[in-house]
Parts: sequence; structure tokens; C-alpha cells
Amino acid sequence: MSIINIMMRELFTISKWELKRTRSTISPKIRFFSIFILILIGTASFFAVQSGLHINDNIYKVVVTDGSLAGVIGSDSKFEVFVADEERARYLFQHDNFDILIIGKKIYYQNTEKSISAFDSLDKAVKRYNEASLMTYNDLNNTFPVWITIDNLAREQAFISPSMNKLPEMETSLETQSSTGSQGDQISSTQTAGIGDAGTPGIRTADNAHVPSLEEITGGNQISAISEQTLSTPSHLSPPIPFKSVVLSFLFIFPIYFIAQFFSSSIMEERIKRKGELLLVSPVSSTQIVLGKLLPYLLGSIALVALMTFRLGGSPWIILAVLPISLMYLSTSFLGAIIARSFKELSFVLIFLSVFLSGYIFFPAMFSNVHAISIISPMTLVVRLLENETVTLSDYLFSTIPFYLVSILIFIFGIFIYREEDLFTQKTISGKLLDSIQEFIKRVRVPLFSLSIVLIPIAFSIQMMLIVLMFNFPIRIGIVFFIVVAAFIEELVKSVGIYTVFSRKMSDATTGNALKFGILSGLGFFAGEKLLLLVVIASISSSAFGSVMGAGLLIFPLLLHVTSTTVASLGIRYSGSRYYFACVILASVVHAAYNLYLVRSVILG
Amino acid sequence: MANRKIIVKKELKSLMFEKTLVLAIIVQLFIASFSSLLVIGLASFFDPSALDRYNTPRSNVGIVGTGELKQFIEKGHIRPFYYDNLSSAVTGFYNNEIDAIIVIPKEDANGSGIIQIMTYLPKSDIKGTFAMLQLKKPLENYEAYAQDLRSSRLGFEPVRLIVDRSPKKTSTYFEFIYGILIPLLVFTPVFISGGMIIDMLTEEYERKTLDLLLVSPLSFSEILDGKMITAIIIVPAQGFLWLLLVTLNGVIVNNIGLLLLLSGIVAAIVVILGAIIAVRFKKRMVSQYLYSLVLIMLFLVGYLFANSPFNLATRLSAGSVGAEVLVYFGVYAAVALGLYVGVKRIGMRG
Repeated sequence: MSIINIMMRELFTISKWELKRTRSTISPKIRFFSIFILILIGTASFFAVQSGLHINDNIYKVVVTDGSLAGVIGSDSKFEVFVADEERARYLFQHDNFDILIIGKKIYYQNTEKSISAFDSLDKAVKRYNEASLMTYNDLNNTFPVWITIDNLAREQAFISPSMNKLPEMETSLETQSSTGSQGDQISSTQTAGIGDAGTPGIRTADNAHVPSLEEITGGNQISAISEQTLSTPSHLSPPIPFKSVVLSFLFIFPIYFIAQFFSSSIMEERIKRKGELLLVSPVSSTQIVLGKLLPYLLGSIALVALMTFRLGGSPWIILAVLPISLMYLSTSFLGAIIARSFKELSFVLIFLSVFLSGYIFFPAMFSNVHAISIISPMTLVVRLLENETVTLSDYLFSTIPFYLVSILIFIFGIFIYREEDLFTQKTISGKLLDSIQEFIKRVRVPLFSLSIVLIPIAFSIQMMLIVLMFNFPIRIGIVFFIVVAAFIEELVKSVGIYTVFSRKMSDATTGNALKFGILSGLGFFAGEKLLLLVVIASISSSAFGSVMGAGLLIFPLLLHVTSTTVASLGIRYSGSRYYFACVILASVVHAAYNLYLVRSVILG
Repeated sequence: MANRKIIVKKELKSLMFEKTLVLAIIVQLFIASFSSLLVIGLASFFDPSALDRYNTPRSNVGIVGTGELKQFIEKGHIRPFYYDNLSSAVTGFYNNEIDAIIVIPKEDANGSGIIQIMTYLPKSDIKGTFAMLQLKKPLENYEAYAQDLRSSRLGFEPVRLIVDRSPKKTSTYFEFIYGILIPLLVFTPVFISGGMIIDMLTEEYERKTLDLLLVSPLSFSEILDGKMITAIIIVPAQGFLWLLLVTLNGVIVNNIGLLLLLSGIVAAIVVILGAIIAVRFKKRMVSQYLYSLVLIMLFLVGYLFANSPFNLATRLSAGSVGAEVLVYFGVYAAVALGLYVGVKRIGMRG
């Protein structure tokens, strides 16, 4: 107990130093300057919300003969409108790069992509103009007679066999709803086309549905980039993409990004100025140093997120949903700061990682109401919470466990090389990464078996990302693409330990060893994968993708993992570690071939 | 000048040696591939109705009740199923027989009350999205029909344009490609270079290697120039690479020369701003933080007005404008020049 106390006290001391150092770096002048820029940013975003983003301003050129049309078309800033007499207009249209010619009321367009796009936009602009004029009549029944109300009902997705047990519950809710018929909450939940309400799906009959008055519609009538639709007429129908919440959820990333940047700068600065050397020779362990340094930044990011949640009036659960994201950014910044040789390299490593991470976090979140797979990103939870939807514990575990595991892993591997020979030398990035794997192999019993298990969350996260990418392809091509790339990643993860052992000459490169390592490593991956399957991916395992990721019979996947890894292992043994990547590709071919055979029925239809 | 060349060469060499430039290009390739791989996803975010353009199978739609709307829906790209009442339709919905339910309203298009259409869709399911998009067209037609009938009561004359034949193909991605993708590709190297100049300068300060350099016949001003030139010239080079890739993908990019010139000028502005921050604050932590803030602000401001660099890149690449925009180039070059004078002054003070 007392040892732990001392260790904790040492850890807190390091945290205090770190905090003091950061504070002293940020002088009052810098604070003033950053507040000044923040105010400018605030002003700029205010104008952006007010006047919209001028992305495609004046992209199309239109010439009209009827002067009254100029105002109609000019109401859309995409168009640059010229008025000319017929002869001149025809001349301009033919010789001067104009996209649209309108003589009287008749439209002419060119057969180019741009001109056709201009035609589409013109159509929309005129419709918008007519709609705006109709609005001025203040007579909803005669101007916008058709209203649509959408109710989204939770239903099991189709690849799971239809379940009957939901039915009785539905009937009762039908009865209770029609008898009570709540009206008050309907404006918010159903008038914006598509976004369903939070609780149990209630069915409302058309009689008691509420039609908003014109004031309610025009109340927020500024047309801006992030305002949601207010008219719920069929022409305003659009898929339920929660634009506003996704934009809001972006805001949470900014403070995390900055704090992660401070964290990595601080560690890198110590390395460059060789300040950290003294601490390293002190009796304090490297784990304590790293955790001690991490603590202020982690707490700071939690505090900022809490503050923002409070300001935005969101659910406090948002803080818990953002936590794994903060950890992920902090852990990757930490690793980046340890492996980079210079500031430039650090910047690029961090840009690379944060682009990848942001993709992983945001792309699924954009589709949070469209597709169930969006749940792989914790940001989807934030979007849902912002939309006042419910998030279950299993949702939370499913989307955050990979994040927690991967970031803890990155910290552990980083701490392995938090030592003088890696911090203060000019080793290459790959050299340092191998160092950390070498440390793992030295310190752990049955290292290759365990390494495969330990790296599974990383492989899993990358594969999840692949699934998201895959949904953008036609389904069959998507599955093939996924299988091939997923096989490569798994083979890479399984063989990297073997490569380290052979290339660092940790044991003799004999055929016997190669076989043994291949079997151990393959076994480890198999065991870890099955464990993971039990814990997290139960919900998608019955789909075609699930079976690729390892569901199905037990003995064949076991043989597969062992065989393919042994292929790579023997490859390294005979061709030497220089041809490592070729060996991994060979192993992936074996692996992918098996999986493709498994899902042949899906691919061939 | 010779001294500046030495610095440029040294910096370029270190970029190659550390493979930082290679990493930078991988980052951009990643962004580019993301954008093209996810062009569907992003574009549908940009314009949700785009999803509709894909050949999706007809959705099974349950229709409850009868009325004039029914004919409109039957003409749509859906497969209709008929139910006598809502609860049997809901049963069908939960048995996965249908993916959407639409309740035909009693109100007539010719009547006077609001026509309320009730629709039920599966939550968080791509099938619901497809069903909605397939229902949209017939519902719109119905709305136009009802609107025509009723608005004439008010004496409203909508603006109507006519065309001999509508274009056969549509251009879903045109505005996305030229409005978002190309400016992003042209200016991403700019943002990276701005961060790079900060790294180059602060590293010299923090490693205290600047003093060593100053002992040599190089002046601080020459070192600064050399580093800034390196950061600026690699921008149009990368931009060229991206535009080439985009062109190979079948997108026609106009005015490539002017686009690269624009990226060079904007790079000068951003790189000099980065240099000012680095020379002024000397520490990487602080400089990068302030630079990120300034960048966010510039990014926002860049979308606020027409003829901003983003907008110019859009119009130049789409071929909407040509050499006449050189006037604006001149304005931006003047800004860069002003900043250059500024950074030299701050540099002299040390």
C-alpha cells in the first residue's frame, strides 16, 4: 500500500512539474493573442452562419434577354447573370464561355458537364424563388398544401431473421398513442423531415398531427449553411443526415486536437533540449513519468469537453463518449513525439495519424441515422446524444472498447521505448517501432502468442474502417476489396513479431524455429479473435462481413491462421528479413483465398 | 542569392532524407483517396438527393387507404403493397415484408385543408433512406399538382422556364468536385508548408543550432529567406501532382498554370505568417498552437467572400474565369509582400 502511495505521489509531482512548465510557456501575451484570434474566429463563423459559405459563387455564367429574369436567377449567388438583346446573347453564348442562354423564357444549354450542372442549379434556383414568393402570401393551405410527417420506427436490420416478439409491444403503443395523442412535442420531433424522435416509436394518426403555423416556419428563415430544413413538404424531403449535430460534434475535436498538440510538443521539446535525461536516471519509472505527464493533459481535455457540453446544453454522457477519442488522440500524439526525429517529422506523423483518426471518427458519424454500421465511431454516440436519442450500454461498449484498447496499447508500447537509447538518438521511425516490439518480446512470456492477441484491437479498428469504406462500393466488389485488405492487415499483425525476432537475431533462424513461431503466432491471433467475437462483434457476426471476420466453424479458421502465418514465417527464414513485405503478401494471398472461398456464394450471387 | 540557394538545397535535402515530404505526400494521397473513395458519402452529405441517382432496387412500400395520391405513388420507382389498415401494415413492416408505410390522406388536392401525409420508415437503416428517396419523386409530383391547383386561387403566377429537352445525364458531383475537392487539393500543401516553416525555424531555436549557422558567412535574413523559399516552392509542385491525378481520373481542370500560381501566392502568405509567428515566439508548442488558430480563422474567412482564394480556385478550375482574375492575384501578392516586409523587420530585431 505504501509503495503505491509513494508511486502515486511521484506521479503527481511529475504532473505538477508538467503543468507548471506548460503554464510558464504560455505567457500573458500569448493568452491575449489567442483570445483575440478566437474572437475573430467567432466573428467569422457568425458571418458564415448569417450569409452562408461562398463556395460556388459566380461559378456559372448565364445570359438572359428578359431583364426581369436577371433578378430571379441572380438570387442564387452561383450565377453571374448578364442581360443582352437576342443577337448579342446568342453570340455570347456561342463564343464567350457562357453556360446558359435564356431567350424569353426558353433555356438553351451546352452539352458540357458544367452547363448541365448549371441547368440543374438553375432549376433549383427558380424553384426556390417561387417558393419564397409563395411564402409571402401567408396562406399555408393554398401555398404549401402537402405536408409530410415521417416517423422512424426502430426495427432489426434485415440480415437478422425477422423477429416476431416486437409485435405486441407495437400494438399497445398504437392504442395508447391514439388515445392520448400528444401534440406539444411534435413540432420538434417530426417537422424537420426525417429526424425521428427519441423515445419509443409512437404512431400518430394523421388527424392529430400538428401542422406548424407560418410563423413557426419562417421564424428561423435565414438560409444558411447549417440551418436545418424548416418546410416539411415533399420537395424538402431529404435523408435524415443530422447536419447540425455533426457540425456541432466537430467542435469537440478542436480542444482535444490542441491539447494533444501541446502534449506532443512538450515531450518532443524535452527530447530536443535533452531536459528529460535527468528524470530518466532517477528512480522514478518511465511508466510513472509518462502517466504523470499525461495526467494534466487528459484532465484538461475532459474539463474542456465538459465545459463545452455544458455550454451547448448537451447530455453529460457526451463527456463519456468523447473520453476514448481524447485518449486516442493523446496516445497517438505521445507515440508520434517519441518516434519522430525532428519537429518536421513529428508534424507529419501527427498530421497523418490525425487525418486517419478524423476519418475514422467522422465519416461514420455523418451517417448516424442512415446506417447501423455508423456505430463503430464514438462520434456517432455524440451525434445521437446531441439529437437527444438514446444510447445503450452495448452501443457504448461496441464503439468505444476498440478505442480504449488501442490507445492503452499505444501507451504501453510507447513506454517500452521511453528510455535514453530511443529518446535521444536519431533512430528511424521503423527502427523505434521494432525496438518497442522487441521490448515486448523480451518482457512477456510466450511472446509471439501474446503479441498476436495484443495487436488484435489495432487490426480490428483498421478493419472496421475498411467496412465503412467498403459500403461505398457495389456490395460484391466491396466484399472482395475488404477480404484482400483485411487479410493483409491480419498477416502483417501476426508476422511482425516473427520478423522482429529474426531481424534482431533474438533467436536462430532455423526452420524449426520458423515453424514454431508461425504456429504460436497464428494460434494467438485465433484465440484473441474468438475472444473478441464473444465480447463485441456479436451484433454483426451474422452478416456476410461477420463471417469474413472470423465467425463460422472453429477448426478451419484455426488452421488458416496457423498456415498463413507459417507461410510468412518460413518466407522470412528462407528469403531473409529484407523480403519481409513480399512474405506478408504471400501469406495474405493464402489467407484471402480461403476467405473468398468461404463467402463465394455471396460474391457470385 | 548564392547563400540562399545553399539553405534551400540543405532544407530540401533534409526533407528528402527524413522522408517528411514523402509522408506529406502520403497524407495528401490519403486525403485524396478518401475524397474520391468517399465521394459518394461526402457528396451525399453535400447534396443528399444524390443518393437517388444510384440504381437501387425498388423498395417495398406499404400503402394504406385510397385516394388520388395512390396513382402518383404507383407511378414511382417502388413496389407497392396494399393494406386495409395501419396495424396490418405495421405487422408487415416488422416482418420485413415492406420497408416503408405511407398513409394516403383523406384530404383532396382540390379541397382547402392541409393534406397530411404520414410516412413510417425504419430507423437508422439504409433501406429507409432508399425508400424515402424513391417516394420523394412521386410525392413531389403530387405536391406540384396540388400547389398548382391551389395557388391559382391566390392569383399566383410562378416563374416558369421552358426547355426543349432536359439533359439526359445529371451532374451530381460537378459542384462538389470543383467547389470542394479541387480547392482542398490545391491548398492542403499550403497549410502543410505553413506548419513546416514553423518546425524548421523553431527547431533551430530550440536546438540552438541557429547560433552555429550565424557564425558561418550566412546572415539571419538569408537563412530565413532560404527556409521560406523551400516551404513555398514545394507547394505548386505538390499542387501539380494532385491536379495531374485528378486529370487522370477524368476531371477536366482548366487554367492549371494560374491555379498553381495562385497556390504559390497563397503559400507565400501562409508561410510568411508562419515565419512571423515562429520568429516572434521561438517555441514550437506555442507557435504551432497559434498557427493552427490563425489557420482556422483564415480558412473560415476564405469561405466568406467571393473572389477569395478558394472561390478563385473553384472558378479557375471550372473554367468560369480566366486571366482576368490576375487583378485579385495582384492584391494577394501585395498582401504577401507586406507580410514579407513585416517578417524582415521582426527578424532584424531578433
